[in-house]
Amino acid sequence: MSTTRSAGHGGTHGDPGEPPHPTETPHPPQVSEADLESMSQEQLARLAANLDDVEVVHNANPWPIPGTRAEKRAERAVTLWFLISTICGLAFLAAFLFWPHEYHPPGDPGYGVYALYTPLVGGLLGLAVLTLGVAVIQYVKKFFPDEVSIQQRHDGPSDEVARRTVIAQIVQAGDDTGFARRKMILGSAGLATGVFGLGLGIAAVAPLVRNPWKGGSDAALWHSGWRSINGETVYLRYDTGDPEEIVLVRPEDQEPGSMMTVFPFRNSERGNEEALLEGVRRADNPTMLIRLRPGTVFLPAPGHEGLNYGDYIAYSKICTHLGCPASLYESQTNRILCPCHQSQFLAAEHARPVFGPAARPLPQLPITVNDEGYFVATGDFDGPVGPAFWEMGKI
Amino acid sequence: MTTTPGPTPEPEEPARSSRRRWSRGRNRLHRRVAGALAIGLGLMATAGLYTAVTADVNQAHAQAADAALLQRGQELYNSNACISCHGSNLQGVEGRGPSLIGVGDAAVYFQVSSGRMPLARQEAQAMRKPTLPIFDPDTEEGQANLDALGAYVQANGGGPTRPEASGEALRGDDPARGGELFRLNCSSCHNFTGRGGALSSGKYAPHLDPASETQIYTAMLTGPQNMPKFSDRQLTPEEKEDIIAYVKSVSGSSNSVGGYDAGGIGPTAEGIIAFIFGLSAMVGIAIWLGAKA
Repeated sequence: MSTTRSAGHGGTHGDPGEPPHPTETPHPPQVSEADLESMSQEQLARLAANLDDVEVVHNANPWPIPGTRAEKRAERAVTLWFLISTICGLAFLAAFLFWPHEYHPPGDPGYGVYALYTPLVGGLLGLAVLTLGVAVIQYVKKFFPDEVSIQQRHDGPSDEVARRTVIAQIVQAGDDTGFARRKMILGSAGLATGVFGLGLGIAAVAPLVRNPWKGGSDAALWHSGWRSINGETVYLRYDTGDPEEIVLVRPEDQEPGSMMTVFPFRNSERGNEEALLEGVRRADNPTMLIRLRPGTVFLPAPGHEGLNYGDYIAYSKICTHLGCPASLYESQTNRILCPCHQSQFLAAEHARPVFGPAARPLPQLPITVNDEGYFVATGDFDGPVGPAFWEMGKI
Repeated sequence: MTTTPGPTPEPEEPARSSRRRWSRGRNRLHRRVAGALAIGLGLMATAGLYTAVTADVNQAHAQAADAALLQRGQELYNSNACISCHGSNLQGVEGRGPSLIGVGDAAVYFQVSSGRMPLARQEAQAMRKPTLPIFDPDTEEGQANLDALGAYVQANGGGPTRPEASGEALRGDDPARGGELFRLNCSSCHNFTGRGGALSSGKYAPHLDPASETQIYTAMLTGPQNMPKFSDRQLTPEEKEDIIAYVKSVSGSSNSVGGYDAGGIGPTAEGIIAFIFGLSAMVGIAIWLGAKA
């Protein structure tokens, strides 16, 4: 083990017999070329320490007599740990590459083997790292010499000579290269580097700047994916997990007291993978199609009558508080709950908020059934979808 | 055609000689029409005879069995306190229990086999309890009693019925698609691995681990308590079975690939465990190493 201790120098703690250092610069022992040639490696290493003001006080080899049995044993122990680590690493590689990792549901014949994959890979890698660490620690404990060294600590700033000469050197360099005199070059260099820096800064920040109101009354914030484009019919579709599998919704698909999440679909999107995916993924598209139980009277918001189709009502799923999916529908109480902050909306009363932090009702989607018997949206939501617009209050 | 046997006499035989003078085509047509008639008549006669002999017997059997089953169902209904909240004609009792007309055999199976009914007391929602021994779905007697009670309720207004398969046969073969559908339709209340969650005013969506395959299926079909209904047109029977396969693949110890599922509620619990135990272990080892050095 090597220990380096620093000793304070100068001031009251200095040796009273020794005068304080006039300068803090150490005085290296003068070594001639011939001396260097004749010094052994050990002597050179000691000289290096001395040049740094380090004095090795104690340095004991743990194995003073080479080749003893105990030394051999220690050597074998360290080698063994390294070998164990090697084997674990190889086993990890083999498990990672060849152990069956494909998912098997519980009860399948392959489940037991599959279930071992993660613990095996993690455990073997962990063992490899752990045994490597043990090997290194063992090596250090058993074979590093036991050493105590003392390094002198230098207090205060560098001495006056060093400070003045360094500054003079820098100023002289500026004068010699003409930087200080040639103002035009200095100015243009500053301009070029400044513009370059500005370009970098803008490139980093510009992608973060966006105007959500771009497009005025046609801005993205003013409409959702349910908006009809060029008068094309917007159907309600069901998501089966595969955007390409288009299932349109008919009134007879739902029992009373049920809820279905629907998304917009246009016939022109058929076969267009990107448009279909956007239809089911766009943040303001998810809509709850709720069929009330018989005997429940639907109460539309004043001025928003006729958006429902009989006992079918469609509301945005996005909570008007902070935009969580508020889709916990209680079919008996007709409450729609938001799991994030416990806002509650009454499905039978135009989804007005009755509890929690939400201040606006969920926007309602106007729906009807077309002559083919499918549900279609007759327009966009009757209010802005999602959080924000808190200044709007209740509609 | 001519070889077809039948109870009808061959009408062209006596007239053959006189009709020979007419065109051959006309004659062939005639024979074909007659042959077809003969087959038709023969088939109808056979079918008629078959129904006459067998149908009455079946019907009689069914009626007798049905009557006994309904009788037994009504006895169970009246003697197990169903009647006190749901009324003597299943019409429901104001302030106690809803009407059972039209809820169907599936709803009876779900509520009774999971112990939710008979209700222990009026509260926010019926909770799962140990099943009444006479309705225990694991015994033969319990199965028969559930069948009888279900048939009685089914006979009064119809409604959804139980799937024919049960147990592992109700698990679909695509748990991955089931997981997708579960996350789309069920996870908002039941959590993404079926751990359940809170609803309003003391109601809750239950943990799905203890539910059997048939119970999950009938719950989707009938929408017990505050759960919405998922008709077979909204989630097809195959989709329901895939959802069951998914629920079963993540319930209990099935979802603890690392050896412990940490509650199955995701990164929060796992993070806390890693933070408390993992970090403590690291600090402990560091202290130990320092002490040794």
